[in-house]
Amino acid sequence: MNEPIIQIHNVHKRFHTLRGTVHALNDISLDVMPGEVVVIVGPSGSGKSTMLRCINRLETIDGGSIVVDNIPLTNARNINKVRTEVGMVFQSFNLFPDRTALGNVVLAQRVVRKRRRSDAATKAQNLLAKVGIPEKADAYPAQLSGGQQQRVAIARALAMDPKIMLFDEPTSALDPEMIKEVLDVMLDLAKEGMTMVVVSHEMGFARAAADRAVFMDEGRIVEEDIPDVLFSNPSHDRTKLFLSKIL
Amino acid sequence: MPDERMRTEQLHPPSDPSLDPLVQEPQRWTDRILNWAAGLPWWAIILAVIAIFVLYSMLSSVAYRRVIRSLTDDPQVSTDDLFDVVQIVGEPTMIIGRYTDETRDSVETVIAELLDTVIDSEEVTRTGFIEEETPATLTIQSDEGAFTIPKGRVTEMDPPDAMVGSDVTITYIDRVTVTGVLTDRNDKTMTVRTVNEETVTFAKDRILSQDIQTIACDRDADPNCEDREVIVIQRQGEIISGRLNTLSQTNMSLELDDESTREIRRSDVDYFNVPTLTIAVNVDMAEAAVGEGDEVRLGFAKETDITDALVELETLDEVPVPLRYADGDARVVLVPYPDIVAALEAADAGEIDAVVYLDDSLDRLAVADWVDANPGANVMLPTPPRECERNCDVTVKLVDDEVTGTVIKETDDEITLRTVDAVYIILDRDKIVDDRRMEPGVCALNNLRGCDSGIFLTLRVTFMAYGLALIIGLFFGLMRVSSNPILYAISTLYVEVIRGIPLLVILLYAGFVVSPRIRDTFGLELTDEWEAIIGLAFGYGAFIAEIFRAGIQSISRGQMEAARSLGMSYPQSMRYVILPQAVRVVLPPLGNDFIAMLKDSALISVLALPDLLQLGRLYVSRTFRAFEGYNTVAILYLGMTLLLSLLVRIIERRARLPR
Repeated sequence: MNEPIIQIHNVHKRFHTLRGTVHALNDISLDVMPGEVVVIVGPSGSGKSTMLRCINRLETIDGGSIVVDNIPLTNARNINKVRTEVGMVFQSFNLFPDRTALGNVVLAQRVVRKRRRSDAATKAQNLLAKVGIPEKADAYPAQLSGGQQQRVAIARALAMDPKIMLFDEPTSALDPEMIKEVLDVMLDLAKEGMTMVVVSHEMGFARAAADRAVFMDEGRIVEEDIPDVLFSNPSHDRTKLFLSKIL
Repeated sequence: MPDERMRTEQLHPPSDPSLDPLVQEPQRWTDRILNWAAGLPWWAIILAVIAIFVLYSMLSSVAYRRVIRSLTDDPQVSTDDLFDVVQIVGEPTMIIGRYTDETRDSVETVIAELLDTVIDSEEVTRTGFIEEETPATLTIQSDEGAFTIPKGRVTEMDPPDAMVGSDVTITYIDRVTVTGVLTDRNDKTMTVRTVNEETVTFAKDRILSQDIQTIACDRDADPNCEDREVIVIQRQGEIISGRLNTLSQTNMSLELDDESTREIRRSDVDYFNVPTLTIAVNVDMAEAAVGEGDEVRLGFAKETDITDALVELETLDEVPVPLRYADGDARVVLVPYPDIVAALEAADAGEIDAVVYLDDSLDRLAVADWVDANPGANVMLPTPPRECERNCDVTVKLVDDEVTGTVIKETDDEITLRTVDAVYIILDRDKIVDDRRMEPGVCALNNLRGCDSGIFLTLRVTFMAYGLALIIGLFFGLMRVSSNPILYAISTLYVEVIRGIPLLVILLYAGFVVSPRIRDTFGLELTDEWEAIIGLAFGYGAFIAEIFRAGIQSISRGQMEAARSLGMSYPQSMRYVILPQAVRVVLPPLGNDFIAMLKDSALISVLALPDLLQLGRLYVSRTFRAFEGYNTVAILYLGMTLLLSLLVRIIERRARLPR
């Protein structure tokens, strides 16, 4: 059981644009143990989101290997299997606007897990209660606040019973007063022992919930440590510079 | 409530409420229409009022009603004739008869008089030995296998006293075909009218004599039958007036006052004549010369057709009075007489110079009688006019005939007889072996399948073609966003090629290139209607494919990522996440294309389909009323597109998400 659930080894990723090639991930290696909560910080363009997206193959990698739950991400055939085990929460929520909150949570259960309609609806209602918005089940995304939408998105990902949850800057599109409601849900999740990889600059959350913090810059992992050490006493100058800007 | 509204308006005074998401004051639709109308410029209001006035006066006039009737296939309100022809092979009870004669009436009528049902049976002869015999059936073993034959269907058996085990040749009825009109059906039975009811209605004053006859029924065929009483009426031949279109040795064709034409066999005609303006001249006057200042007195019979004819004449130059004319104009005096005989007597006496009369049947007889009675009269009759061959008004009297039937309706003037009773056969659906053919029946509002021209054809072709175009468009639209280069290339080729060819050319291809090729290759005969549907659908499929492509691409990438991250496959994400949103986006352009297709369906008239435009053109070429004809076509199209755009807007509104 002590085998890492996510194994990232020497991963390279390049984006080819009109202005040349961007080396987004440069020889990245990271292991995440089951039940571990990892927070990734770093300046814009440092490759945090790209790495997260590579874990469920929303981006393909150009070199190295990624193994998730003992399934190597090599071909397209096993990718949907990996994705059902890996829930993802996006910065821009990406709720389905033509479905109610309940419908958003039910859809993938019906289509992918082939659950019965009543079972899926019951589970969806329970999850909406868990994220604190049971009364919004029949509301459409456009009728919800940003915080509520992000909580529906978390419930939607949880409905697939994932072993891992990926959070791609879940609070950065939110008003400050809504950030807390989303972070509370994430804290609860962490306490329940969910394996989480979180790209976020919420130091409070990182200190309270994370087992490890990773600082990335220019496609490399600069340093990693327990959050208290990394945030209060970083060893690299680049980390110090970054932290001095955001604190 | 009023206060609130005022405040809202003050907050956002200049903006259009429909554009401003903050103003969500619900308006009743009447308010909306009034607001909209109030915002129109003054010239639009004036134009609208004029248009409504013109429309009303057009549509309420008889001429336009006639145009519309000819453009819309003129459906009945309801009909029992759901299918026109049904041939069912089965085993109903049957009576076999022979075809004996054909008359002016339909063959069916003749058979109906001989038989109770219309049966077309197929007789089969088989040779073998009798294997088994039951009270109801015989089983014979022949070279082709064993056959069990109901005894009642055996028509011939050789030898007639064959026993089990002996060789025999049996002729029996294998299959029975029922031909008729399907009028009703339920889970168990079908009702087929094999003989149509025929009725005849005519004026009572044509009855010469009538007689009641009893028709004894055939008790051998049906022991429970009852004798029927029928009325036999000798009636005077119908008198028909109209304009002569054609006149041949065997037929004549008249155009009646209501613009319908009637074909008449010469053998049915008792006599007919052509009324001609004719002049009988006083003999003395015929010798004299008429010069300037002289007075020519013309007599005529009052209150006959001649009165109208004379009123219409501006000058008498058009009347070929056979007088000798000197130089100068003579004055003409018209002298009315109570009848033609009085006028002739006046001419005989020299009171008038000539008699003008319309040489129709009655006057001709009166003149002939008068001439016979007064052989030495001082009146010269003209040589008979040349017989008209076309484009003249004629009166035809048909020969007297006899009708037999039962009276079903009688008023003071008219009598209606049922000359042929309808015959219905109820078939057990289990016993039906094969439906040979079914054709849609009479055009009626409860049977629109039967309406195969005019508005109905236009609408049917448009709806079918649009449905097909949506499928084609969705299919190629998905290929256009596919990452597979082959699918992308195929769909791009389709879109670019079809979009670059005029729809008219595509339709001609469908009708004259693709359809014959399909017929030669697969033996599949496409009807003209399907050719048109396929042509329109493929022509519009390219545009709809582009609409779908744009719609799919307008949905943010995040939606696809979210769906894929939940473990859905690409097709599942398309089906459940992207397409439902894309369809909402593309509803307005799809609605546009729908209306455009309705209009472009006018092009299918090149495939000789009797659509709205084709009927309009036929109407115009028949009557030369281009203004009324094309106006009505345009208005019908306009009405349809307005209704459909309303429908499209309702669908768009229903698809809108709550905010």
